[in-house]
Formats: sequence, structure tokens, C-alpha cells
Amino acid sequence: MADVSLKNVGKTYESASTNTIEDLNLDIHSGEFVVLVGPSGCGKSTTLRMIAGLEELSDGQIWIGGRRVDEREPRERDIAMVFQNYALYPHMTVAQNMSFGLRLAGMDKAEIRRRVEDAAQVLDISALLERRPKQLSGGQRQRVAMGRAMVRDPAVFLFDEPLSNLDAKLRGQMRAEIRRLHKRLSATTIYVTHDQIEAMTLADRVVVLNKGRIEQQGTPQELYERPATRFVAGFIGSPTMNFLPATVMRTDAGVSLQIGDVAIPVPTARAEALRRHVGKGIEIGIRPEHFLADGAAAFITTVDMAELLGPTTLVHFTLAGVACSAMLPPELAVREGGEQALRVALDRISLFDPDTGRAL
Amino acid sequence: MKSTPLRRGLFVALVIVLILCCFLAPYAWIVASSFKNQLTLFNDVTPLSWKAFFPVGGTFENYRTLFERTNVLTALLNTAIVSGGQVALTLLLCAMAAYSLTRIKFPGARIVFVLILLTFLLPIEAMMVPLYQVVSGLGLSNTLAGVMIPWIASPFGLFLLKQAFEELPVELEDAARIDGAGHVRIFFSIVLPNVKVPMLTLGLITFLFSWNSFLWPLVIVQDPANQVIQVAIAQQGSPTQLPNWGETFAGATVATLPLILLFLALQKYFTQGMTTSGIKG
Repeated sequence: MADVSLKNVGKTYESASTNTIEDLNLDIHSGEFVVLVGPSGCGKSTTLRMIAGLEELSDGQIWIGGRRVDEREPRERDIAMVFQNYALYPHMTVAQNMSFGLRLAGMDKAEIRRRVEDAAQVLDISALLERRPKQLSGGQRQRVAMGRAMVRDPAVFLFDEPLSNLDAKLRGQMRAEIRRLHKRLSATTIYVTHDQIEAMTLADRVVVLNKGRIEQQGTPQELYERPATRFVAGFIGSPTMNFLPATVMRTDAGVSLQIGDVAIPVPTARAEALRRHVGKGIEIGIRPEHFLADGAAAFITTVDMAELLGPTTLVHFTLAGVACSAMLPPELAVREGGEQALRVALDRISLFDPDTGRAL
Repeated sequence: MKSTPLRRGLFVALVIVLILCCFLAPYAWIVASSFKNQLTLFNDVTPLSWKAFFPVGGTFENYRTLFERTNVLTALLNTAIVSGGQVALTLLLCAMAAYSLTRIKFPGARIVFVLILLTFLLPIEAMMVPLYQVVSGLGLSNTLAGVMIPWIASPFGLFLLKQAFEELPVELEDAARIDGAGHVRIFFSIVLPNVKVPMLTLGLITFLFSWNSFLWPLVIVQDPANQVIQVAIAQQGSPTQLPNWGETFAGATVATLPLILLFLALQKYFTQGMTTSGIKG
């Protein structure tokens, strides 16, 4: 276990006109499971590769376990990495794949064997040790790749989108397995993914990256319930948050939000922050599950489409010219083309400045 | 007439056999003629008879003369040394050059690669005189080293292996770096074992080129003791006499045999390499 610290880290490519990563600061505590999440090209994999030593820094420093490591070779950083495409050596058996690093380090043969067998037992791949990678399924390859990382007993585990080549069912199983493994090993883990479900289910802390900058970091719940920016609000959560343009209006009772011809009163607790925006346009974010159909109607809409997902029904409708979706109980008889009365859970909505995208 | 699968199959087989005969006929004639004396050899082709392709009334006289009176065994050994050495050095040099051009980023890498490829366009004949001057200047004239060294830096080999290295996932090398391997270890322990087929293909092509080379050994080697097989066969008769074609064909047969055996042993890799590298023979 070790702390990992990124100090003013920057990465510039000669071919790119702007920095890929700019002034990135991140402190990861010993034993913490941190997920770097963001869309393609946001710099998450580059960040991970810089921590691993596979990519040079243009600026800044990286510290692991109290040692500055950014000018050290990968082997000197006490890390292990699991790659997206597994990166197993095709010409070696599973056992040879797992022991390659230990053999290079000159470790005693008996100790190598013990470590490989222990890891294989934990990952349930003992029967596969003499097979070659091409004889394994995707899930088995992933386990071997994790085994190769485990045997080295590193201070920091790095995962680069390790589940993206697996089918949905296997991905779910492996997610649980990675979580279990982390609890068992308690090693500092940095995990990169573009899949927000993976980020939410695995992480102690999620770091959302966008265009080489940290948009927000926090627990999965913090990010979901209190997104700091419109980007985070849109990225975290599935189905995605609905964004509607609204105008802040002063009323006798306080402040309300005018969305098209629907006026929604703002709770007193949120009203104060909105007073200086009276008469101006803002953006309102409503998660699909925060549209409620409990009889207290704020507006009536026509259902464009209803998708029964099992535990819930995803209802598509248009509000103020914007396509929206709501998650409603399946027992509610929603009919396509029919009318549906809805209200908004006002204490759960997010409000954003349309110019800066920051939460109000 | 309705075409049935059987009829179609027979037609295809017939076409294949015809094509095969066209390719094999010269070889069959050479091998058959190597067992005939000068008179029979020409009688069978004027007019052309089926006997030309079969060793009818065969004799081992040509082979006996070849091994007793000429230095064909020495020439075979010399050729094996030259070809073996050329294969080993070409593979080492081309693999290292292709790896560095593929994986190590340095300014001008692309220009270097294009310049190397341009040399591929020069015909061997155009390079003979300057090559002779360089090799003689190095004191390698009339030696086996002089026969092989000019050809070990093969632009074709570089091209073939560069393609293979580019197809190898870079993550394998990343994983090896994290496992603690340096460039040399990665090259020999991870990269080379995973480009076995292109390496074997290049090895075989180089061997064929080297084994069959005639013009360069003729130019650079004067001493018969250091001569290679193709030149030795051509030089076996006396310059004042008509060539003994039976003996010449016996020499050609002996010279071709190792190649056929090698090809049969490695044909799986050879055809696989030709297909995967996108190069047609």
C-alpha cells in the first residue's frame, strides 16, 4: 500500500496544439480505490500511463509511497498494471505469463511458484496454469492479467479499462470480483474507465476528467447527487439527466422557474442562491427518477414512447421543446400517445449557469 | 449439359494438373536429363518425346563425374556457409532495424525508412561495380564473407519485419516494461518469439536468394576453393570444350535438392508468411 500524489502534472504532445493534460493535481490515499472516468480523449489513460512510467511527463511530479518516481523506470515504481486487451504474452503459458516479472527480478524459484499458485487459487485459474492465452476465454484472460499483477505484490494496482472487452454479463461478474480482490488485498488502486457504471460501483472516490482537467472528484454518491458542473451531471447517471432551459422568476411566494409554460416553485433553501439570477436564463437538471407521477401534477404531458425495463418504465416525452425521459413505476399504466401528469422532486433538481456550466 | 459438382470438381482438378505440369516440366526434364548421356539427352528432345521427362535408360555416370572431377562438394559447403550466415545476419540486422524504426521514436525515422526502401529499387547489376570496389577495399574480395556481407542489410527484410512489428500490440511491450524488462530483453524475449512466421519467411527467402546467387559470387570470388555452387556448376567444363549438359543438369539437380527439402519442411510458415504479410510470391 502506498499514497500516490500527482503534482501539477502536464502532458503535451508535439502534434497537438493544446495540452492534453494541464496542471493535474490529485492525491490518492493508501489503500484507496480511485476511478478516473471521462469520455474518450479526456486524458484518463494518459494519466494512468504517466503514473505507470509508460508515458513521460511534460510538467509536474509524481510521487508514490513518499518517493518521487516520475524519472524512474516502470519497474522501479512498485506498480502493476492490467491492460484493456490483457496484454498476455502469447508465446508463454499462464504460469510463465504470471511469473515473467518475478523471474526478471531474480526471485527464488520456489517463492515464484508459491506466489503463482496462491494467486491462481484466489482467481480460480489453477487449472489453467499450463495453457496458453489463445486457449482461454476473455474472462479467463482477464483473470490471468490480474494474476500477473497480483503476484508482484505491488504497492499500487493500475487498471486501464480492463473490462471493456468483455460482454455485459461477464463485466458485471468481474466488477464484483475486482471489488472483492481490492478488499482482500487493500492495495491502492487506480482504475480507468469510460463506463460510469463501473466508476460508480467500484470506486471509493471517482475523479471525473474532461479535456485533461479534473471536473469534479468525490464519492459516487456526491457526484450523483451534487454534480459540480453540467458535464459531470450529464456524464454520471444512466439514463442521463434531463437538461431544460428555464427562466428565474420572482413570485409572491419567493422564486419560481419558468420552463416553457410550466412554472415550478423553488424551495426556500435553493431560492436564496437564485435571487441574483431573477429575470435571467439558467439550466435545470432533472434526473429521470426525479419526475414523479404521484397524482400531484405540476404539468401534463403526452407520452412519446414508453419502454418497460422490468423494475421500471422509461417514459419519453417532450417538455418545453426538449426531449425528456422519466423513470416511473412499472405498475403505472402508461400508454404511448396518452397523457401523463408529472411533477418534479424539487429538492433533488440541479441548477446550472448556462454560460459557465457550473452548478448554482 | 448440366454442370454437377462432380463434373466441376473434375474440371478444376484437370486445370490444376495442367498448370502443375507446365511448372514441373522444366524440372522433370533437368532431373531426367541428369541421368542421360549427351546423345540420348538430345535425341529425346528432337523431336520432343515423353522420354525427355523420364530417366529412360538412366546412368549415374554424370553424377560420378560430377563428384569425382569437380569441386561440387566444396562448393556446396561454401554455399551452405554463405547462405546460413546470410540468413542469420539478415534476420538479426533487419529485425533490430525494423524494431527501432517501428517502436523507437526519433526525428526523421520516416525519412530513414523511405531512403532504405529506395535502395530496394536499384537493380543488383547497377550496384555491382561500386559494391566490388567497397568489398575489395575492405579486403574481403575472394572470401566467403565478401559473398554474403553486401546483402545482409536487406531493405525487403526491413519492410517485411516492420509490417510484422507494427501488427504486434504495443501493450505487450508495455506489460514487459512494467514487468521489469529493458529494450534488449523485450526484443529477444517478447517481440521476436511473436513474429516467428515473418522471421521464418524472411529466413527462407534470404536462403533462396543466397543459395541461387550467381552474378555477385562470379564477380567477387576467383579462387575455385571459395566458389559457391551456382558458379561452380557453370564453370565445371573446360572453356575450350562444349559443355556436358548431363553433368550440368546433375549439378543443377544436386544444387536444387537442399532447397526443395527446406521448402517442404517450412512450406507451412512460408505460405502463411506470404499471406499474412500481404506479399504475393
